[in-house]
Amino acid sequence: MQPNPIQASTHRTTHKTLKFSNMTQSFTSLPQELQLATSAHVKYIQSLDSRKDEYDYWLTEHLRLNGLYWGLTALHLLGHPEALPRAETIDFVLSCQHENGGFGAAPGHDAHMLSTVSAVQILAMVDAFDDLETRGRGKAQVGKYIASLQNRQTGTFAGDEWGEEDTRFLYGAFNALSLLGLLHLVDVDKAVDHIAACANFDGGYGVSPGAESHSGQIFTCVAALTIAGRKELIDVDRLGRWLSERQIAGGGLNGRPEKKEDVCYSWWVLSSLEMIGKTHWIDKAKLTSFILSSQDTDKGGISDRPGDMVDVWHTCFGIAGLSLLDYPGLEPVDEVYCMPKSTIKRVLGR
Amino acid sequence: MAMGSIGDTLWDVVICGTGLQQSLLALSLSRSGKNILHIDPNDYYGGAEAAFSLQEAESWVDRLATEDKGLFRSASITKPDVVGLSFPRAYSLALAPQLIHARSELLSQLVSSRAYRQVEFLAVGSFYIFKAPVGPEQQPSLVRIPSTREDVFSTTAISAKAKRGLMKFLRFVLDYDSPEQRDAWKPFADKPLVDFLQEHFKMDTELKTYIITLTLSLDGRITTEDGLFIVHRHLTSMGHFGPGFAALYPKWGGISEIAQVACRAGAVGGAVYMLGAGIKSMETATDEIELELTSGDKVKTKLLVRGDESVGDEPSISRLVAVVDSPLKTLFESTVDGAPTPCVAVVALPPGSLTTPGEANTDPVYVFAHSSGTGECPNGQSVLYLSTMVTPNSKEILSRSLESLLSAVDPDRVPQCLYQLYYEQAAGVKQSRLDGLILDLPGPSLSLLMDDASLNHVREAWKKVVGGAVDDAEYMVFTDREPVDDDDYE
Amino acid sequence: MADQGGSNHGIARTSRTRTEEQRQKDLERIKDYRALEDQVRHHAAKNDYSSDVFALTSKLLRLNPEYYTVWNVRRRCLISGLLSKPSPGSSPSKALPTSSPTATTTTSSADFSSSLSTETPPAPESQTTGKSGITAEDDEEQKQQTRQQDQQNDQQILQKELHFTIPLLLESPKCYWIWSYRLWILKQVIERLPVPVARNIWEEELGLTSKMLLRDQRNFHAWGYRRHVVEQLESPELEGKSLVESEFEFTTKKISQNLSNFSAWHSRSKLIPRLLDERNANDEARKAFFEEELNKIGEAINVGPDDQSLWYYHQFLMLNLVNSAEHPTIAPAFTQEERVTYLRREIESIQELLEDYDDAKLIYEALFDYTLYLCQLQGRKPNEQEEKDLKGWLGNLKKLDPMRSGRWADLERDLGLKE
Repeated sequence: MQPNPIQASTHRTTHKTLKFSNMTQSFTSLPQELQLATSAHVKYIQSLDSRKDEYDYWLTEHLRLNGLYWGLTALHLLGHPEALPRAETIDFVLSCQHENGGFGAAPGHDAHMLSTVSAVQILAMVDAFDDLETRGRGKAQVGKYIASLQNRQTGTFAGDEWGEEDTRFLYGAFNALSLLGLLHLVDVDKAVDHIAACANFDGGYGVSPGAESHSGQIFTCVAALTIAGRKELIDVDRLGRWLSERQIAGGGLNGRPEKKEDVCYSWWVLSSLEMIGKTHWIDKAKLTSFILSSQDTDKGGISDRPGDMVDVWHTCFGIAGLSLLDYPGLEPVDEVYCMPKSTIKRVLGR
Repeated sequence: MAMGSIGDTLWDVVICGTGLQQSLLALSLSRSGKNILHIDPNDYYGGAEAAFSLQEAESWVDRLATEDKGLFRSASITKPDVVGLSFPRAYSLALAPQLIHARSELLSQLVSSRAYRQVEFLAVGSFYIFKAPVGPEQQPSLVRIPSTREDVFSTTAISAKAKRGLMKFLRFVLDYDSPEQRDAWKPFADKPLVDFLQEHFKMDTELKTYIITLTLSLDGRITTEDGLFIVHRHLTSMGHFGPGFAALYPKWGGISEIAQVACRAGAVGGAVYMLGAGIKSMETATDEIELELTSGDKVKTKLLVRGDESVGDEPSISRLVAVVDSPLKTLFESTVDGAPTPCVAVVALPPGSLTTPGEANTDPVYVFAHSSGTGECPNGQSVLYLSTMVTPNSKEILSRSLESLLSAVDPDRVPQCLYQLYYEQAAGVKQSRLDGLILDLPGPSLSLLMDDASLNHVREAWKKVVGGAVDDAEYMVFTDREPVDDDDYE
Repeated sequence: MADQGGSNHGIARTSRTRTEEQRQKDLERIKDYRALEDQVRHHAAKNDYSSDVFALTSKLLRLNPEYYTVWNVRRRCLISGLLSKPSPGSSPSKALPTSSPTATTTTSSADFSSSLSTETPPAPESQTTGKSGITAEDDEEQKQQTRQQDQQNDQQILQKELHFTIPLLLESPKCYWIWSYRLWILKQVIERLPVPVARNIWEEELGLTSKMLLRDQRNFHAWGYRRHVVEQLESPELEGKSLVESEFEFTTKKISQNLSNFSAWHSRSKLIPRLLDERNANDEARKAFFEEELNKIGEAINVGPDDQSLWYYHQFLMLNLVNSAEHPTIAPAFTQEERVTYLRREIESIQELLEDYDDAKLIYEALFDYTLYLCQLQGRKPNEQEEKDLKGWLGNLKKLDPMRSGRWADLERDLGLKE
């Protein structure tokens, strides 16, 4: 049984520990269907690449590398990192790399920030940066590609050469560059200024200056500030309030005021709360049962809300959410990188 | 099937009358593999829910004068000496117009049976309350009932405190069937809704009138249970099919149009239709009935379904249909961006609001105003349908209501009335009756809102004919018979 | 971290088993889809961005608008032949904005295609020949004529591209790639077409966002996109002028359609400081404006006390009274006394709401906050009565909102409100 108090981040307050002992108790009393269907989820993720006779498999090829990251993260957190073959994983990732250092979603797809970040995260998880040096184009080239996407005037990042900008890309760049130890390649201060310009009166952050606060965007901004070591810029109280108000009657979390709940926000909201030390501002037991009730216990996978179609994206963020909620049996997840804490410890030495 | 052979067939069901219920039954049965002969003694579709040209209305009035049975009586036509009336077929006057809530069961059946594609639905817009002039110099006016939160927000007609009262009630209604809320109204279930509003929400007369008007209760005494159901359906229907409207009205004459579409779809499904053929006589054997029709044909059937035309216990209503020479534009403005222009508006004259010389009205008077968009009158004119409970002076009440309403709509140029059709309609019986091989469906409802309960009788009749092993989920669920453009609705 | 494309949102879970017939049908579709995909890739790998390839991308994108690489192929088809080559001496204001950091698009696209790890590198030379290369010997008149023809050709193509994406957007309004492609096309419009023509096209774009926002009032992309379109329409590149008044009106309209539209309230909060500046509003006008907004939101809260959107906006107005240093403020010249009066008045009228809505937790939260604002403004601790009130409201919050009990406990501790 987890928890391992040593894994707890510095933000964990006594509140959390207190709350936790209550939680463990409530888990054991959960009905059968509200237990995590670990083996079903492992099988579901393993099956994803064997669905080549399904039309959807081909329609989603532009997400292949991202999908691999989501699946692999979920497997690591479920304690089954070996469920996907390591060598093939590395081969596939490297086959997506372009000469300029960036990665496409699959062989034959153009390089993009999102798939590049996924590639770095996967290689970090399977401890294969060495392979990147010897068989790929090397860390430095990846760093160069990512750095080339920074808008040096505003500090923010584009997703690719065609110029769409979004704080998602900024976070992605920080995430991958810090894992590679290459954060110095970009203008961190400019990027931080840009994040500060995206802040709103409610404490949240939007996709660009002027945009409405949105949980996903808040995650990217708060995580980027955390990586940059600039958390003092966050209005913790106001943001914490806004985030905690995302929990609605059924226990799930929504992404913006007056919207529906969705399992993926269990991650965006909860990890942001974690980064500012306020996860005890929501009802964790209720959120846990919301995520669990969105599982397909029979065939595996988690959906956006109970009764809907599952997919690997919601499966990953559902399980990551459960990990952050200290659900027993799961590997602890890092709230900034959405990867196992053990990976981050190994790569960053913290 | 060739017409000549109708006498040679042993029909599964002969249905007599083409009112809404009989027509829906024919449709549902024709698709369940039953052979159906559908007849109507009238030479028009729709029975008590028919829509008439002026000519048809005239012969209907003439016919009523000679026979003293059925649900309609005291019919008369008045044509003031004013020019402007168009040719008779330019009009399609509905005998019993009803509004259909977007979340009504009828609509989901029309969708699942695919029959909706043949009907053009129009949006029902605002509900108004008629306000008598306060002083001698003043004009009567119409106040729009706010029925969404945004409406309540923007109205200036009521105080901040009253707005909260109204919102409190609207919030309550949205959730009225939950266990917590039920405790509050159950003790009032069979008592009038007005009493509940008074006791529980301390509403003033004005707000109570708003709520009762949304129910279109003819005597204003609708029970709490029924009233909450209707208000709930009204609120949840708002925006269901598009912004800004809660109810629909079928173009070209309302319910009669649906009856006709159902008959047409029934014919596609194999039912055989004969208009102008009633039942002259019948002979019942153990497992079949032999009918002699007024057309001279003799047919045999295993079951005969009719619409009950006997008068029930409930009170009758007075109806006045008026054609006026104005488009009454102010009544049909859409209040929400992106909303379709409504073709129907509702005006209620609450009890006591009629202050012109004569007795005040003791019951509410409801007016459905139909623009020419309904196809019921030519451009530049409108049709007004007035209804109230029958009283010794209800005819006079309706005609004074008409005058008052017209002067409230446009005091500068009071629209002129071009045509009036008055009649009284008795309530039919409320239950189906099965007697051997004859099934009588209940009489038409007097309700101004499409009443889903009448659909249950049709479903029951269908079940009876199709037999024990049917799945309710199959009822009225058909696939398209012909390829269609799928760009609307879904 | 990636976008949500390919994930399932709000689709009911159904049986995942297919009949053999369905499976065969899927296999057919896969065959057709992959054949099309192979063709596009085959040409792209050879740097063939001809109009035939362009037509193939239309087919493929209609099947799968999430396929970003194919959007890129389509862009390359446009810039490497279908559209005119931008003349080298075009005005500096028409140069590419710096948001695209990788050299020029032409060379970088060559980089990209040559780096495909699965195919042999193509010859980059083929990239540089445009359709309408102009040499220095051409006389001015001919140049002028060619430029006009080019512009007409470009206009036709770019408008066709805008039409192409509309049905795709209607079907997938949340697909990032379509929005991004559309913006790229519109950027070409500015760069390649005469200002009045470009302006017209961008104005139509504003109409499109209004339509999208009518279909989905909170569409994140559509709101962000609208902000961008407005910014462009206001820019000197399109000889624009401020749209702040009409955009403010737009938020008013959206709010009257749906009070819960926080996207509209948010947009309003961002427009106000500029609006007042551009109106050259003096202190009196600013005060009147503040009061009008306060009344409006008060009316809204009066009918929607459970609505977070409304309270967030109310809070935005209240922050103008206390935190004026941190945020752009509506009325900087308010005296301390005025600020206190406004806060007191709001606290009082919010308390009135409790007569009818004693179960609306957001009311208690607001009372709690604003009482603290008042103390902050006056630089003092809550007095005895206020402390009693705060305790009472906190009690209600705990009771009405147990999900956030941790927050209430923190508040209680931090403010020393525990008995």
